[in-house]
Amino acid sequence: MFKNIFNWLNDRLPIVNTFERHLSKHPVPKKVNFWYLFGALAMVVLVVQILSGIWLMMPYEKTENAFDSIEFIMRDIEYGWLIRYMHTTGASLFFAVVYLHMFRGLLYGSYKKPRELVWIFGMTIYLLMMAEGFLGYVLPYGQMSYWGGQVIVQLFGAIPYIGESLELWIRGDYYISGATISRFFALHVVALPLMLIALVFMHLVALHEVGAGNPEGIDIEKYLDEDGVPLDSVPFFPYKVLNALVAIGIFGIVFSVIMFFAPEGGGYFIELANFEKANPLSTPEHIAPVWYYAPYYSMLRAIPDKLGGFMVMAAAVAILFIVPWLDKSKVNSIRYKGIYSKIAISLFTISFLTLGYLGTVPVTEIRKLVSIICTVLYFSFFILMPFYTALEKTTKPPERL
Amino acid sequence: MTRFAILVFSLIISLNCLPADTAPCGDYGECDDFRPSLNDNASLQKGLNTFINYCYGCHSIKYSRWGRISKDLEIPEDILFQNLVFNPNTKPGDLMKGSVIEVNAIEWFGVSPPDLSLVTRAHGSDWVYTYLRTFYEDSSKPYGVNNMVYPGAAMPNILGDLQGRQVLGCRNVPILASNGGIKRDDEGNDLTEEKCGYLKLISEGKLSKTEFDALVFDLTNFLTYIGEPSRRDRERMGWYVIFFFIIFTAVSYLLFREYQKDYH
Repeated sequence: MFKNIFNWLNDRLPIVNTFERHLSKHPVPKKVNFWYLFGALAMVVLVVQILSGIWLMMPYEKTENAFDSIEFIMRDIEYGWLIRYMHTTGASLFFAVVYLHMFRGLLYGSYKKPRELVWIFGMTIYLLMMAEGFLGYVLPYGQMSYWGGQVIVQLFGAIPYIGESLELWIRGDYYISGATISRFFALHVVALPLMLIALVFMHLVALHEVGAGNPEGIDIEKYLDEDGVPLDSVPFFPYKVLNALVAIGIFGIVFSVIMFFAPEGGGYFIELANFEKANPLSTPEHIAPVWYYAPYYSMLRAIPDKLGGFMVMAAAVAILFIVPWLDKSKVNSIRYKGIYSKIAISLFTISFLTLGYLGTVPVTEIRKLVSIICTVLYFSFFILMPFYTALEKTTKPPERL
Repeated sequence: MTRFAILVFSLIISLNCLPADTAPCGDYGECDDFRPSLNDNASLQKGLNTFINYCYGCHSIKYSRWGRISKDLEIPEDILFQNLVFNPNTKPGDLMKGSVIEVNAIEWFGVSPPDLSLVTRAHGSDWVYTYLRTFYEDSSKPYGVNNMVYPGAAMPNILGDLQGRQVLGCRNVPILASNGGIKRDDEGNDLTEEKCGYLKLISEGKLSKTEFDALVFDLTNFLTYIGEPSRRDRERMGWYVIFFFIIFTAVSYLLFREYQKDYH
């Protein structure tokens, strides 16, 4: 009976084929390290965000009463606090996981031929996530939502000629008001998630077409068995699924520790000022973005000119898109790259983390100087990449995993 | 990798030593340490009592409901309503919107007294705990008092009767050398200088200092509870969820190791 129904379905829908191709028989490199687990974790957080988001949407009011409705969720809705903290913790950990996932890409050259498109889809996801995170941050309509939103929307005002009208168009009002909240809500819960899901799908399809990379940065398709399956691969199910399950378990522990015992993340995940309702008449002493934008915010503050700052910030994200064509190295993995690449990526990491720290604290003269230096280092990593990767001496990676 | 991590860490730590930001508790400097004890219902009940009698006249806690407090703090509804609810039309499901009319409040204080539902979350419980204990007499202010944590606060020292009269005084403090140690003279005695701006109790109120501190502790504890009534549930539930994930990780790891033998 069930078999008949299944066969009927399978004749009309490629169930078995898709399952085998993308799950049960999909070959993945047999030897990878923990860096390769963050993609799966990002997928898990995406699901957490979508589910908790749906439930948050139900009682949330997309008006200037938003703040009150959040407190209603926190106090009067059964387990409302749990759903909300899941969403706020998820947002921060989504970025944490994606940053590590991207860093893996830089370490092991995951963007290199033939995976350029996978990288570009991934970067687009990151870009959309930043927009998604920003829009979501404005929705509770707390002090930091309001003033953070104000700062970011005003950036668009710096664009010559169209700036002012663009700013007004985005806000739908002369200040961040109920009108802004309701349009940000539409974008946050419908438009961007739809695009995100579509892009994640493309990211995976493109990845499965070219196959996953490995820490050695070698092509496992060179050595195939008689069925055309790479010798150094194992089927995704059950081997990699089990591997991912362990990662999900550990991630679950980290997630729960934050969600249940420190949901504000020491003021980094939910900023303390956001426990005050938005007040257009009183600017907080110190406007800081949430930690995941902090590096870019530092760059913005380091540049004295608003338009210049905006362009530097945009360029900092844009330059990531062209990394596949900046890296001229013969090898993919940092393990076999030369000393220049190793120094470059170390300096890049230090400057990015430093910028991140500086973005969360009030600016002083010394800090400003440090952030200018770090901004220069950040860009040098990319701009000089064609030179140092081409010039340096690389070592030869092994033939097999 | 390790060397790299050490480098990153030392850099971030050194950044923390860059010129400091403003102190969290204003002129008072660092706030006094406050650790809430949210499972202590007696303390929360005493805090509620103080809150209703001293604060609720002006300040609302508009996101809380009477019934929830009665349930969480284990105060039978009839006792709560007989003793602490002064408006006979109030129902258990009502929000605690306060009793002051905003227009009047602005006339009296110059500002509308803020809602206190989230005060401990926005400023921190230790800020509230310190703020309530650092009022001092200052004749230049309309109510004759000022506050160290929040200079220029428009609030009268409502707990002043209990605390007693507090003024700013001077005292001799050791002179610190640039390395943080105490400067000494040739005979090894500590060198001191007179510094002003310290709180000094010149006459005791209805409560002793310890009693008063305990009262403010209970009040702050109550406000911490009001900031997030579900926090107790959250922390209790957390242990179970973490325990589940530990078991989950262990089982999936064993399974993973077993399957890994196929290709290792």
